Amino acid sequence: MEKSIETIWKEGFVKDDKLIAPKVNDLYNQKSIDIVSKFKRMYKINVIGIVLFAFIILPVSFLVKIPYLGIMMFLLFNLIIIVNRKTIHKLNKIDNSLNSYEYLLSFKGWTDELIAVNTKFSRFLYPYMFLTMFFGFWCGPIGGDIPGEAVVKGFVAEFPNTPMVFGFPLIFLGGMIFAMLFLALVGGRIGKWDFNLGYGRIMRRLKTMIKDMEELKQ
Amino acid sequence: MSSDFYTNSILPHSGIIIKICRAYTDTQEDFEDYYQEVCLQIWKSKDRFREESKWSTWVYRLALNCCLTLIKKKKNNRQNVASDFEQKEIGEENRVFENESLNLLYAAIRKLSEIDRAIILLYLEEKPYEIIADIIGTSRNNIAVRVTRIKERLKILLDGKIN
Repeated sequence: MEKSIETIWKEGFVKDDKLIAPKVNDLYNQKSIDIVSKFKRMYKINVIGIVLFAFIILPVSFLVKIPYLGIMMFLLFNLIIIVNRKTIHKLNKIDNSLNSYEYLLSFKGWTDELIAVNTKFSRFLYPYMFLTMFFGFWCGPIGGDIPGEAVVKGFVAEFPNTPMVFGFPLIFLGGMIFAMLFLALVGGRIGKWDFNLGYGRIMRRLKTMIKDMEELKQ
Repeated sequence: MSSDFYTNSILPHSGIIIKICRAYTDTQEDFEDYYQEVCLQIWKSKDRFREESKWSTWVYRLALNCCLTLIKKKKNNRQNVASDFEQKEIGEENRVFENESLNLLYAAIRKLSEIDRAIILLYLEEKPYEIIADIIGTSRNNIAVRVTRIKERLKILLDGKIN
């Protein structure tokens, strides 16, 4: 007579050493690799996006007759790419033969360094972007009329007593300096916010994992 | 996770955790991943245990939920090779038990839907229908009917040696 499933189940597990629990010492191994590869993937996509954007903005700026803006942006994006390439190189140097905890800590160390570099860089980045946009629109096309001069002429005609510095109305210069100082001041925060927008979720997961692993080690 | 917690609260129930994880995985590597994840989830969720049920029932529930979540994630990750996964016959990798009938029974259980697997595992562990109903979140009668149908399906699969 054939055995019922209940009998197979009961008899099957009698004296079967396959019910010995596997070791729980390799926890998080796969997760650690997953989280770092996900970050790497996102980061590389981001860098490729910047490269593409840099090469699109240059010809487009010539087409829409704001070439100075395009050239300055192109230079800026190239600088960002160079900085990022260096940071990716450091990321690839993290030894993945380390245990999960040390691997994640090294990765966390790398992201902390990245955030620090990004924050410092942002203090210059945003004022530079402002300046680029200002002069881009101000200067207009190469060899053509300078739109900014027309703005100054109109402004001086309206306010003839306005004080001028190097051909600029003082109020323009003051406004520009104020905007740049403000952006330099909050640039770091904008940089952090921008970073969190892209990588915030993954960074929170990373922190939780490290915290869990620290508890596990206790 | 302290070794005390593992030894006192998880290890006594490791048998059922292993049985559940085996039903939801088809490789040793996956099995170990699932087992570890279940242990981790038990440890992380232990403060939420309110003694409304037995600790063992709570462990079953958590292990099942954890496996169901993992299997869903896994399915999403490898949709392209899903058919390969579904159609896999009982290979060396799946012959984990010394008892060949048990290997066949497991292979048949793996052919069931995720929920049916959970139900039959609890039934085979001699959990009363009320407890199974409570764990799965349905009525006792529904479970009784479902168990009969699952047993019929398993019988057909076993008679045809799975395929």
